[in-house]
Amino acid sequence: MDFPILSALVWLPVASAAIVVGLPRRRPELVIPVAFGLSLITLGLAGFLVVDFTAGDLGFQFVERTSISGDLGIDYHLGVDGISLFMVALTAFLLPLSILASTSVEHRSKELMASLFLLEGALIGVFLTLDLALFFVFFEVLLVPMYFIIGLWGGERRLEAALKFFLFTAFGSAFLLAGIIFLSVQANDQLGSITFNYLDMLDVELSRTAQFWLFGAFGIAFAIKVPLFPFHTWLPDAHTEAPTAGSVILAGVLLKMGTYGFVRFNLNLFPEAAVELAGFMAALAVVGIIYGAAVAIVQPDLKRLVAYSSVSHLGFVVLGIFALTSQGLEGGILQMVNHGLTTGALFLLVGMIYERRHTRRIADYGGLQKVMPWFAGFFLLTAFASIGLPGLNGFVGEFLILLGSYSRFPILAVVAAFGVVLAAVYLLWAYERVFTGEPDREENQNLRDIGLREVGILVPITALIIFLGVYPKPVLERIEPAVEQVLERIEQRTDFESPLRLDDIAEEIR
Amino acid sequence: MTDISYLAIGPVIALTVGVLAILLIAVSFKTDERVLGWIAAASLLAAFVLGVLQWVEASDNPTTRFNGMVALDPFAAFGAVALAVVGVVALLVAWPLAVAQGKRIAEFLALILLALAGLILMAASAHFIMLFLSLEVASISLYVLAGFSRQDADGNEAALKYFLLGSFASAVFLYGVALSYAATGTLSITGTAEFLESNVLLESGALMAGIGLLIVGLAFKVSAAPFHMWAPDVYQGAASGISGFMTAGAKIAGFAALARIAVTSFNPYIDDWAPAVAVLAALSIVVGTLLALAQSDIKRMLAYSSIAHAGFILTGLVAGIDGVPFIWFYSVTYAFQVLGAFAVVSVVGGPAGTRSALSDYAGLAQRAPVLAGSLALLMLSLGGIPLTAGFTGKLFVFREAVDAGYLWLVLVAVIASVAGLFFYLRVIVLMYMHPQAETALEPVAGDSIRIALTFVAVVTLAFGIVPGPLIDVVTSALPL
Repeated sequence: MDFPILSALVWLPVASAAIVVGLPRRRPELVIPVAFGLSLITLGLAGFLVVDFTAGDLGFQFVERTSISGDLGIDYHLGVDGISLFMVALTAFLLPLSILASTSVEHRSKELMASLFLLEGALIGVFLTLDLALFFVFFEVLLVPMYFIIGLWGGERRLEAALKFFLFTAFGSAFLLAGIIFLSVQANDQLGSITFNYLDMLDVELSRTAQFWLFGAFGIAFAIKVPLFPFHTWLPDAHTEAPTAGSVILAGVLLKMGTYGFVRFNLNLFPEAAVELAGFMAALAVVGIIYGAAVAIVQPDLKRLVAYSSVSHLGFVVLGIFALTSQGLEGGILQMVNHGLTTGALFLLVGMIYERRHTRRIADYGGLQKVMPWFAGFFLLTAFASIGLPGLNGFVGEFLILLGSYSRFPILAVVAAFGVVLAAVYLLWAYERVFTGEPDREENQNLRDIGLREVGILVPITALIIFLGVYPKPVLERIEPAVEQVLERIEQRTDFESPLRLDDIAEEIR
Repeated sequence: MTDISYLAIGPVIALTVGVLAILLIAVSFKTDERVLGWIAAASLLAAFVLGVLQWVEASDNPTTRFNGMVALDPFAAFGAVALAVVGVVALLVAWPLAVAQGKRIAEFLALILLALAGLILMAASAHFIMLFLSLEVASISLYVLAGFSRQDADGNEAALKYFLLGSFASAVFLYGVALSYAATGTLSITGTAEFLESNVLLESGALMAGIGLLIVGLAFKVSAAPFHMWAPDVYQGAASGISGFMTAGAKIAGFAALARIAVTSFNPYIDDWAPAVAVLAALSIVVGTLLALAQSDIKRMLAYSSIAHAGFILTGLVAGIDGVPFIWFYSVTYAFQVLGAFAVVSVVGGPAGTRSALSDYAGLAQRAPVLAGSLALLMLSLGGIPLTAGFTGKLFVFREAVDAGYLWLVLVAVIASVAGLFFYLRVIVLMYMHPQAETALEPVAGDSIRIALTFVAVVTLAFGIVPGPLIDVVTSALPL
C-alpha cells in the first residue's frame, strides 16, 4: 500500500495540536518555533502532493477508502482532484504564516496554536473527503476551533462576533444536514444500500423538484459560508474581531468551503437545478461584487475594509462558477487561490501595523510611506494584486472569470467589471490615506519598519502572488480536467450546452 | 408453573438483594459509609453481568418467561446492561450527596438501586400489568429521591409536584391499558400484536383511545411536550447530585417501554400513531429549545434541553422498528451526557444545591479547567456538534425519520438544534471568555466525580468518533 498522504495531511495537523498542547507550560518561548516547524511538515506534504499530482488525469487521485461504520454507509473516503488540490495547498501554505503572525499573542498561545492546527486539519478534511457524512463532520466541527479563535483572542467585540459567526454558519449547516440525509435516503431507495458516498451520489437520479430543494438546502449552507449577498452580514464582524491568524485563515480558506461546495456538490449533484438557477446565482454574485466594493469604500476601519473587499472578490468567484463555462469555472477556482493569497496578505499586513499602533482606524494613520518604506511597498504590491493588475495573480483569475461569464451573461459581466474599478478606488484611496503625505501624527513618526520575521512572512506570499501572475500554467493545467469533467457531466444530464469548451480535454473525457 | 427463569429477572434480583443488604447492614451494624457504597456497586456489577448473560442467552432465542410476564430478549438485556452502567455512573456522581446524608445514606442508596430495578424491569416487561408495576416501582423511588432532604423547601416542592403529576400520568397510562384490553382482550404486549395482526377491528375507537393514552402516559414520564410542565421544577428542585440520574434513568427506561409497546403491540397501527408521535416530537423540540433559551439557571436550562432531547428521540420512533436501534443509541448516550452535565453542576453549586445560576460559571475555565473542559465537551455534544455522540445520535434518528417520510419533522429538528446551540454555547462563552466573579469559589471535584466525568467524556467522544461498535450492538437489541 502506498503512503496515505491524504490521511497524513488531515491527521498530521491534529497530531501537531496534541504535541503543542503537550509542551511544558514553563517554556512558553518554545510554542511558536515548535508550531512553526510542525506546520512546515504539513506544508511539505502538501507541496509534495501538488508536485506528485498527475496533471491531466481525470477523476480523483490518491484515493483512500475504509468503511468505518459497518452497515451505515459512512466511509472514511478521501481523494483529491484539481478542484480540491489547491485548496489543500493553500490551507497548508497559510498556516505557517499565521503562526508567525501570532508572536505577539502572549495569552494562552499554546491553545491558539492548537486551535489553528485543529482548524487546519478540519479544513483539509473538508476539501479531501468524498463521503458526505464525513464532509458534514469536518464542515461543522471546524466551527469550534474558529469560534474559540475569535472568542478568546479577538478584538473588543469578539464575543458578539464569535457567536454571530457560529450561529450564522450553523444555521446554514442545518439545511446542509437535512439535505445530505434526504439525498442519502434517495440513494438508498435507488441503489439499494445505505450510502453517503459522493461517488455513489453521482449516480442517483433526482427529480427536478428534488434537485431544486436540494440545491436550496446545500446552497444556503454554502452561500452563508462564501458569503453571498445577502448572507454576508456575519463576515465583517468575524473578520474584524478575529486575531490576525484567525482572519487570515477565515478569509483565506474558510470562505472557500462555500465556493468549493458549490462546485463539488451543487453543480455535480444537482445539474438541472444548477443550470436553471445559474442566472440567479450569478446575479446575486454581481450584487455582492458591487455592494461589497461600495461598502468597502466608506469603511473608516482598515480591517473592515479588507473584510468587505472579500465579499466583493468572492462574488467574482461565484460569478465564474455559475457562468458554467470552462474559463469561468477555471478562473473561479484559480481566483479562490488568488483571493486566499492576496486577502491573506492584506490581513497579515493590517495585523502588522495594528501590532505597532493598536488602532485600525484609517484616520489615525498618514504618511507611513516615509517611515516604513518596505512595508508600504509590500502593501502596495498586494493591493495591486487584489485590484487585478496584469502581471499579478488577481488579474489572471478575474480575466478568466469575466471572459467566461461574458459569453453567458454579458450584462452581468459588464457590471462586474466595474467591481474591478471600485476595487481600485477603495484600495488605492486607503493606501493614499494611510501611506502618502507627511507623517504628521507624533505616534506615527517613529514606527519601526518591518523586521526579519515579517519579511519572512511577506516574501513567500508575495513571491507566489507574482509567480501565479506570470506563470499560472502549473495551476491551470491541474484544474482543467476537473473543470471539464464538471461541465461534461452537466451537459450529459441536461440539455445545456456550455459555450467555449476546451475541446481536446472534453474529447478525452468522452 | 414451569415458566420460571431466574435469569430473566436476574438484574432485578441482584439489585433487590443489594437493597436488602444495604438496609439490613445499616440497621444491624455501625458501618462505614464506604462499605454501603461498595455493596451498591457490587449489586450494580452483578446486574451488569447478569444483563450480559441475558444477552448471550437471548440473542439466539428471544422469548418471554413467567407466563408471558417478563421478556427475555436482546431488548431487555440491553436495557439491563445500559441501565446498570448508568447506575454506576449515577452512583459515582451522587456519592458526595450520599455521604452528605449522614445516617440516611442507606435509604438513599437503597432508593437509587430500587429505582434502577424498576427501570430495568420496565424495559423487560412483556405484559401491561408488569409494565405498570415496574413503572410505579421506579416512579415512587424517584419521587422520594427528589425530596430526599426534608429540610429543603425546593426539594419538597419538587417531590410533591413530581408525585402529583406523576400519579396522574400513571392513571392515564392505566386507563390506556384498560382501553387497549377492552379492544383486544389481552394484556400481553406481544399478545396484543398477535391479536391485531390476525383480526380486523370493526370499531377501532377504543383501541385508538387506548394507544393515545398509553403514549400520553409514557410521554409524561420522558417529559415530552406538552406533558413536560413538571420537569423544570423537579430537576431544579431536586438536589443536583441526583437530578442527572432522574433525567437519565427515566429517559432510557421510558423510551424503552414506549418503543416496545409502540413497535410491538401497536405496529399494525403505525400509520395511526406515528403522526401523533411526530407532532409530540416537533412540539417537544420546539418548546424545549425555545424555553431553554430564556433560562438563567443551568439546571432549568438542562431540564428544558432534556425536553428537546426527548423530542429528538421521539423523532426516531416515527420510523417504527427501524428507528428502535437509534432510540437506544440516542437515549443511552444522552443519559451519559446529562449525568456528566449534572455532575459538574453538583460540584459547582454543591451536591445538595437546588439552584445553580448560570452566572456562577463565569470564568470557570480558569478556576477549574477540568470541570470546564468536560462541561464544554458535553455542551457541544448536547448541541450536536460532530465527533461527539450527540451528533451521531441525531444523524441516525434524522435519517430514519426522513426514510419514513417525515422530512418536515427533520427540518424542524435541525433548525431547532441550531437555535439550541445558542444556549449550549452560552455556557462555554461564560466559562472561557468571561472574567470570573471576584467572590467565586474554587470548586473541587472529588475522586468519584472525576472518575464519572472521565468515563462520560470518553463515552461521548468514543461513540462520536467510532459509533460502529455500539451501533452493531443496538441493531440487534430489538424487542420480540
